[in-house]
Amino acid sequence: MAASIAPECNDIKEKYDTCFLKWYSEKYLRGNTSSNDCEALFKNYKGCLNKVLKERGIDAMVDDARKSGSSETDAEFLKKS
Amino acid sequence: MKFFENNFTYDYSFPAVSLAYFLRYPNPHSRHVLTTDVIDRYVDPKTQRLHTIRLHLKKSKVPSGILKLLPKGMGGSDSSGQSYILEKTTVDAKEGWMETESRNMEWTGILSVVEKQCYKRLPSEEGRLALDGLAVDKSSEQTSVKTTVTFRSRLGQGKLLGKKKHDTGDHEDEEPRKGFFSSLSTAGIQRTIELIGVSRTKEAVLKSKEGMNIVLERLRSGGVVGVLEDREAAFGPDGTWKRVWLQGKDRSIENDKS
Repeated sequence: MAASIAPECNDIKEKYDTCFLKWYSEKYLRGNTSSNDCEALFKNYKGCLNKVLKERGIDAMVDDARKSGSSETDAEFLKKS
Repeated sequence: MKFFENNFTYDYSFPAVSLAYFLRYPNPHSRHVLTTDVIDRYVDPKTQRLHTIRLHLKKSKVPSGILKLLPKGMGGSDSSGQSYILEKTTVDAKEGWMETESRNMEWTGILSVVEKQCYKRLPSEEGRLALDGLAVDKSSEQTSVKTTVTFRSRLGQGKLLGKKKHDTGDHEDEEPRKGFFSSLSTAGIQRTIELIGVSRTKEAVLKSKEGMNIVLERLRSGGVVGVLEDREAAFGPDGTWKRVWLQGKDRSIENDKS
């Protein structure tokens, strides 16, 4: 599994990734889309990660990149296909 | 602006391919990918689509061909040899498609590269014909992927390296830069940079496909350890993907492992 940019978050990331992959393949792909088994783990992982992104000044760059460009909405995608 | 387009078909089911996409690092063709983090992830309650935003840190350097075109001091000096990539993914499991978009977050003034992929389930003919749903052999299920990469250089268009100037607070190179751009055609430089990006991308797209295929092959052969390294305990002997596989592919695994 890919490592985190923040070594101190690797353990919690691994737990979250494991949870996600299990949820994704056993539930989401089978139509159980509303369950949120990994929410608590994701919250922990995000808490750890966001701290590091902020410390390194990457958070602002991430926010900019998220806003920038052609982030299509679902509606636009549907129109296209 | 330049474009690169590629169409490809994986001989694997859509669930497997989408799982492999999330799992694709590390693989033997991804040694340049240093880290991967999930920035955000949620299911849209209206559409039931899964949205994921990831941040990848990759080893990279400005190609020497591009460095030659840049005024002295630009592009090399403060380059850490690493670059951040933001990846957005949307999965619609019901409709059987996944859309991805990856873009570089730095040096976008020199060259902005946006890669979009659209994965779509290609139902097998047997699957469609088996109306009773009994013993549907889905082993021929396939997933198509269309890759489009857009290259855009804005070098010399005013928005030049705003981030860098801000970072260093050093405007020493302003003067030579102006002289540099007046002596050469800005459009020509942009086109050259975009073309260098295209040629590098052809190789990268091929590599990424090979990487995906390796991850898919590991999944199919039940190589939980291979995919997740030492994490098989979390999944147990009844590996999750094995069930994903059984939905779509290679029934022999079931006999093998159960």
